[in-house]
Amino acid sequence: MSAATVAEPAARRGPSPLRRWLLRPEAPAVLFLLAVVVLFGALTDNFLRLANLQQILIQVSTVAIIALAVNQLIIAGEIDISMGSSLGLCAVAVGTVAVATGGLILPLLTGVAVGALIGATNGLLVTVARVPAIIVTLGMLYALRGVIFFVTGGASVSGIPMDARLVGRERLFGVGYSVWLLLALLLATWFVSRHTTWGRDVYAVGGNQAAARLAGLPIARTRFLGFVGVGVFTGLAALVYVGRTGGVQTSAGTGLELEVIAAVVLGGTSIAGGRGSVLSPVVGAVLVSAISTGMVLLRVPATWQSAVLGALILLAISFDGIRRRQVRGAA
Amino acid sequence: MTRERLLGREAVLLGVLVVVMLGMSLLSDQFLTLGNLLRTSRFFVEIGLIALGMTLVIITAGIDLSVGSALALVSVTIGFSYAAGAPLALAILLGLLVGLAGGCFNGVMVTRLDLHPLVVTLGTFALFRGLAFGVSDADAVSTYPEWFAYFGQFYLGPVPGQLFVFIAAITAVWLLLARTRFGRYVYAIGANEEAARFSGVPVRRVKVTIYTITGALVALAAVIYTSRVSSARADFGQGLELDVIAAVVLGGASIRGGVGTIPGTVLGVLTIAVLRNGLQLAGVATTWQLFLLGVLLIAAVFVNEFFRRRDA
Repeated sequence: MSAATVAEPAARRGPSPLRRWLLRPEAPAVLFLLAVVVLFGALTDNFLRLANLQQILIQVSTVAIIALAVNQLIIAGEIDISMGSSLGLCAVAVGTVAVATGGLILPLLTGVAVGALIGATNGLLVTVARVPAIIVTLGMLYALRGVIFFVTGGASVSGIPMDARLVGRERLFGVGYSVWLLLALLLATWFVSRHTTWGRDVYAVGGNQAAARLAGLPIARTRFLGFVGVGVFTGLAALVYVGRTGGVQTSAGTGLELEVIAAVVLGGTSIAGGRGSVLSPVVGAVLVSAISTGMVLLRVPATWQSAVLGALILLAISFDGIRRRQVRGAA
Repeated sequence: MTRERLLGREAVLLGVLVVVMLGMSLLSDQFLTLGNLLRTSRFFVEIGLIALGMTLVIITAGIDLSVGSALALVSVTIGFSYAAGAPLALAILLGLLVGLAGGCFNGVMVTRLDLHPLVVTLGTFALFRGLAFGVSDADAVSTYPEWFAYFGQFYLGPVPGQLFVFIAAITAVWLLLARTRFGRYVYAIGANEEAARFSGVPVRRVKVTIYTITGALVALAAVIYTSRVSSARADFGQGLELDVIAAVVLGGASIRGGVGTIPGTVLGVLTIAVLRNGLQLAGVATTWQLFLLGVLLIAAVFVNEFFRRRDA
């Protein structure tokens, strides 16, 4: 009785802010990132140069923008692996319209519209036709690549005017437009996740679907909007992609889906749903890009870089697995 | 899930296969010849072998994205240890061991660290491919002793040799899944892992075994593939995981776990093989093959899920 009374105030105050932060999903990735930055900063002369850090952020923006939306979808308990082909198709749309009409707004709107259409198709097939998401989006990964070849006739889109390439090429206050776009979308996603009904539903639906149903939450609508969100962000990422490359090959975006999911998962979002933060995908994407850039500066042979990256990814997720096991053991 | 229902689903798939084959023979008069069908089988034995292991993995509600990368790693291990002076027999043994170890590593990571298979095999997807590129230095080894060609280029009369390997593997995995206690465990884990654990099923050991079997089948496929194209390169098998998963799911295995059969998977592999070869012969562009494959995959699973809900 007396022991319980003594313990009570401490329990009410809860753990210290540092301990609380350490339990956040993205904490291990942030610490890992700090370690990587310190390590590469000490080992090379150029890593901590502003130009290099800027380069890392620009490199990361395409993947990170898509990962922001995929993160929400994974928290809601679904998955999308069609992003590689849908980025390709959005980029073809952006490029084709840019060549035909010039300007920036019309290509942008086209890219977003095509992306949203793809996302809505995925979402309908998952929520209404009730086909598992991994199958729907795997099928889409194939089918959309076929559509790309059909639309382009196998030729690449080239000669994209500079107006449409603004976001991928130019800078504002010394920072690339693509990085500003990423920051704006990060803030927007944070706001939506934190302060809208949909944003809160995402966690509830992914965390415990049965409880969400009993609470009367619109499970299907929440997930459908998650798919549409991925499509819209893929359309925006296509604008960055087209700006950076200046042309679109039929193979554009191949393999991107795995990079995006790696970024989300490395950032600490649980693939089982219900757990993750808005920052996770950005931290994860920056981590991957920082490691790749650091290895180039350290002159790690190009052929070995992918192996080191794979090993580090496995190391990072192992830490997370061990940490979760300890948390559960302590509880 | 009654036996008649499972047979029913396979009968439906068999019907689809027959219709596809008839359609293909209308598109191309070369398609429905024994010679062509046997020749075609050479190109699908590798996917088929890996699909057998993937069926076990998917029945336990798991997934393995690393199979394409593992195929490249085994191929490179064989080629480059041979080029470094090892006798070819030893090199092949080494390759098989690497495949086994890779699969076992997946299984241990999934069970010991309690990580989702999608996450683990995404990591090994990068790791295995990276190791293959590192070891091979992005180079190829393309000269082998004559007898190595037996694994992938040998014909017994008109029948390609690897078809016998495939049939033997089908029989072995089918017996394992349908006729042994281990097989019952696999279904039990997929249907309800928690319940299986409380019923005394050694869940971890079964899962590690499943991923190791998959690794072994990947290694076997890699030996055949390396021999068939007479080369070892780090970029082999890119995108292979998608073809394999498509074949398994087309064969009726549920990605949610607990459901799936070896005969179903074999029919799935055949359907994809027939579709690809037939469209190729009919002069349909690769791109439309991709499109049709994607649509077919979604449609097949939709039909499966529809019937499953109606029965439930």
